[in-house]
Amino acid sequence: MLEPLLAPLREEFFLRALAAVVLGGVTCACLGAYVVLRRMAFVSTALTHSILPGIVGALLLGFSPYVGALAAALLTAGGTAWLASRRGTSEDSAIGVMLSVMFAAGIALMQQARSWRDFGSLLFGSVVSVGPEDLLVIGLTAAGVLLSLRALHKELELASFDEEYARLLGARPGLLRAVLLALVAFGAVACVRLVGALLTTALFVIPAATGVLLGRTLAHVMAWGAAVAVLGGVAGLYLSYHVPSVPSGAGIVLCCALPYLLARLFAPRR
Amino acid sequence: MSDRPARLWERFHSSILGLLPSIPYATPEVPVAGPAIRAEGLTAAARPDGPAAFTGVALEIPAGCRAALIGPNGSGKSTLLRVLAGLTPARDGTVEVLGRSPALGRRRVAYLAQRPDLTHYFPLTLRRLVQMGKYAHHGWFDECRHGDADVDRALGLLELGDLAERPVHALSGGQLQRGLLARATVQGAELLLLDEPYAALDTSSRAVVERFLAERPAGLTVVMATHDPADARRSDRVLELRGGALRLLHDCAGHDHRHA
Repeated sequence: MLEPLLAPLREEFFLRALAAVVLGGVTCACLGAYVVLRRMAFVSTALTHSILPGIVGALLLGFSPYVGALAAALLTAGGTAWLASRRGTSEDSAIGVMLSVMFAAGIALMQQARSWRDFGSLLFGSVVSVGPEDLLVIGLTAAGVLLSLRALHKELELASFDEEYARLLGARPGLLRAVLLALVAFGAVACVRLVGALLTTALFVIPAATGVLLGRTLAHVMAWGAAVAVLGGVAGLYLSYHVPSVPSGAGIVLCCALPYLLARLFAPRR
Repeated sequence: MSDRPARLWERFHSSILGLLPSIPYATPEVPVAGPAIRAEGLTAAARPDGPAAFTGVALEIPAGCRAALIGPNGSGKSTLLRVLAGLTPARDGTVEVLGRSPALGRRRVAYLAQRPDLTHYFPLTLRRLVQMGKYAHHGWFDECRHGDADVDRALGLLELGDLAERPVHALSGGQLQRGLLARATVQGAELLLLDEPYAALDTSSRAVVERFLAERPAGLTVVMATHDPADARRSDRVLELRGGALRLLHDCAGHDHRHA
């Protein structure tokens, strides 16, 4: 009876994917608490989508896809800030411009490489694609991001709740925002193997949105979010394993959406 | 027995965070004797590219004084308070706040906006909000686990003791305003800049804040923008901003027996 649960565990690639989804899920859920509470969902979408041209470009030029992905995400964050720094362009439209331009560049580059099919796993994630070196990158990224969040917890909380008081104390809310965007870029790069460039944003938004419905403090929101991300991630991997036509990214997102829906329906009104 | 995992977790945290240096948000300042506020030829605008709200204003407020700032809407009361807080740069003139030109990162100055721009749905208890006043004394990477006694005292002072664990989104406007005042108390500020603090308050909240201001510790200077003549009567000094100029309407600092 337990065979459907145990069979995948005998496969090495599945164990790697499990480790990756736990590490990446916890990282994205904790970052996602800020993304959701600071209404940064759109900019996180832009960052995750812009990974596409970074990876494709890196593959075409022959260097590490992680370096390309990170460079592209940081370019998007910087470009958005630069476009929005002048009056007449709201941050909203700046994000819209960068998102579509970067994604269009990614599609143009993919045509250059003339192999759409190879990039399917890039867009939607793939359970078999996590190699040992990928797991190492994900683990280091997760450790770095989580430590940064812990070290800056009180400043990020303060700046997210009362930006002006943070300014008054000299706690540099502008700098903290930039740091947060960079951390989101790192988190997105870590998850792109499993969830894909198109769906990574869901890992930032859905678990944390569930956490906001259930948690009373920021730490509780992060804990609930991490639980949803881990549960949804593991369930999604099993779904993708047993139904090979479902890419892992789609499976993970669908499995994370279920607890969100339940929380939305049944969480006590605060 | 049940607190053993918590203690281990705590040790794990502090051993990692202990590796990080503690960096203050701004360089600590040395207190200077003299008036709390002194300005000469001060000109400032609400927005960098907007017209000047007031020009060539001179101002002196002694330490420990309670000053009311009155004037019609749009006369520049808020801009003046923001200049003193260091949030808006002065366009011209000199201004000294507690012996230094205004700047951000000053733990000795507290400012309460008329409509504080808070993320109201943020998951935060009132206690945590008030504790944020302590951050001024900590700095980057520094844990802030102490100061609970100060937080409790400030909550009691503003009659918020029963609400300490309540999330901020469940507080009324008046309770939140009192919470922000408690935060300024915990910060240990010597100058309190209040922009129409009564605008959002019902009668009972107002009475609490009124008593807090009347019984404030000696040496705490308060500058409060207000529309209420009753506030002006309770102040040691009344300043009026009108037509871009500042006038001293009333000054009884010399007869102020409270701080004598």
